[in-house]
Amino acid sequence: MELVNVFLKAAFIENLILSYFLGMCSFLAVSKTVKTAFGLGLAVIFVLGITMPINWLIYTFLLSEGGLIGMDLTFLRLILFIAVIASMVQLVEMVIEKVSPALYNSLGIFLPLITVNCAILGGSLFMVSREYNFSESVAFGLGGGFGWFLAIVALAAIREKIRYSKVPAPLRGLGMAFILTGLMGMAFLSLLGIDPAAF
Amino acid sequence: MGLLDYLKKIEPDKKKSPFLHTLFDGFFTFLYTPETVTKSGSHLRDGMDLKRTMIHVVIGLQLCYLFGTYNVGHQHFVAMGEYLGILEGFHLKLAHGLIKMLPLFIIANLVGLGIEFWYAAKRGHAIEEGYLVTGALIPLIMPPDLPIWILVLSIIFAVVICKEAFGGTGMNIWNIALMSRMFVFFAYPTTISGDEVWVSGFEALREGAATSYGYGHSIFNWLFGILDIPQFTAGTVVDGYSGATPLSLAYQGGWEAVTAAYTTTEMWWGMIPGSIGETCKPFIIAGALFLIVTGIASWRIMLSMVVGAATMALLLNAWGATPFMDVPWYYQFYMGSFFFAMAFMATDPVTAASTNTGKIAYGFLIGFIGMIVRVLNPAYPEGWMLAIIFMNTFAALLDRLVIDTHISKRLKSA
Repeated sequence: MELVNVFLKAAFIENLILSYFLGMCSFLAVSKTVKTAFGLGLAVIFVLGITMPINWLIYTFLLSEGGLIGMDLTFLRLILFIAVIASMVQLVEMVIEKVSPALYNSLGIFLPLITVNCAILGGSLFMVSREYNFSESVAFGLGGGFGWFLAIVALAAIREKIRYSKVPAPLRGLGMAFILTGLMGMAFLSLLGIDPAAF
Repeated sequence: MGLLDYLKKIEPDKKKSPFLHTLFDGFFTFLYTPETVTKSGSHLRDGMDLKRTMIHVVIGLQLCYLFGTYNVGHQHFVAMGEYLGILEGFHLKLAHGLIKMLPLFIIANLVGLGIEFWYAAKRGHAIEEGYLVTGALIPLIMPPDLPIWILVLSIIFAVVICKEAFGGTGMNIWNIALMSRMFVFFAYPTTISGDEVWVSGFEALREGAATSYGYGHSIFNWLFGILDIPQFTAGTVVDGYSGATPLSLAYQGGWEAVTAAYTTTEMWWGMIPGSIGETCKPFIIAGALFLIVTGIASWRIMLSMVVGAATMALLLNAWGATPFMDVPWYYQFYMGSFFFAMAFMATDPVTAASTNTGKIAYGFLIGFIGMIVRVLNPAYPEGWMLAIIFMNTFAALLDRLVIDTHISKRLKSA
């Protein structure tokens, strides 16, 4: 039950992109079509879901004071987290290139850029500051990834739809994406404030 | 055909004065069908153009307007402890309702249509009639004492950011009337939530607070004086009156607390405090049936929304962790604005999903999420506005999913 709470909270109530505005660059740039948004969203779920538990293990057993080394090395967490994320992204990249070259081409530079996607690093840092345990960090990674996936796919569907609208010329493209993101954030406010643990 | 000839003669030139021409065109198409016809592509022959579709919704709202206006007055006098019967003091209640209601209605339409006219002239297209419905809906979903300047700001936000930026009528992603309410809700929360805002005409809604009457009331008093019937007299809020809505009572103490203050008959017929048009369930259902019969609104969305809300309410009954969750599921429909949201907000054909399967999923999820927000979220008293805006976000995605599965199914069987 506790895990479900963490998952739902990360996915809907405190959505990484729409409440914290993390991972904005790829959110805006790769949301032109549903197909690529879908691919990138899945990649983010995968990377978040894998890196969170690995980072948790590293943080608990290597960096924190009660770990194997026995020294407080938590100041190294940024570097180590980034290294883990980068190697995971490399893995994802190789898999996607092999399995679906078309998706690989359409994602372009944004696939390696997941490395510096703030949603992923932000997720790991949230995990540290909220003191999640191992299973909670898995649930938080998957939930956060799912929320990000849902948001980018919804945005892509809307952007595909408004391609046939008479949007004023200065707003076409990125301008509209910004307005849409803001209004989507407003729509996601509906669930803000629910505390699943309170019942 | 004298009138038509005369109108054609005074038609302003489109090039020389675009604004006057847009204005002329807007009123001309009220009277006559425009002579422009579709020249290419597929076309459907139907007298049911955009303007007539919109007018049907406005007709469906009339009963809510009548009752809503009267109920504003009724609640005012109930708070003073006078004229407690629904038909006692009829003229006073109606007059008070009109004084509160007319400014909201007039300002909402002036501002909205003004923006609409300005954009139409600026962008060189005919006036689009979409605002007719929005302008009719907005006064019904606001509290009666809402300051006019907040109303104006919210309408500017909704029409400019949520509609004109998307390309005008029929292009918006989120429901415009709800977006204006959402703006007030998040920017000026004290004016639209809590127990104190739903009953109008007092300095503040607490025991012993005095009435605050303006010029409108003096004018009506003068009229009533001539007719020699009871006039508005200053009074105070009666002792023990809280003005709490059924929903906030239910949140505090469950169904017992609600029935201690209101009877089910009162709740069903709408003699309770609330947004202006949302309270009277039978009249809203009559409007909903009218929309279904004329084919304007989708029965799929309405039905699946009822099913979704009932499902979630049953689940919450089974859970039963707080008094609010224990409210019997069928009584959940007696409180709040479920029916109004179902009949007039969720069924907006522009922002809802447009495939049939998508509509069913869309309605069901609105019912489901709305009930979650209403019962589980302590931050918001009512969930339908938020649930509908939330699902508007996903309507395009639902359509896309339905179409994609359909295509892949056909490809497989081919």
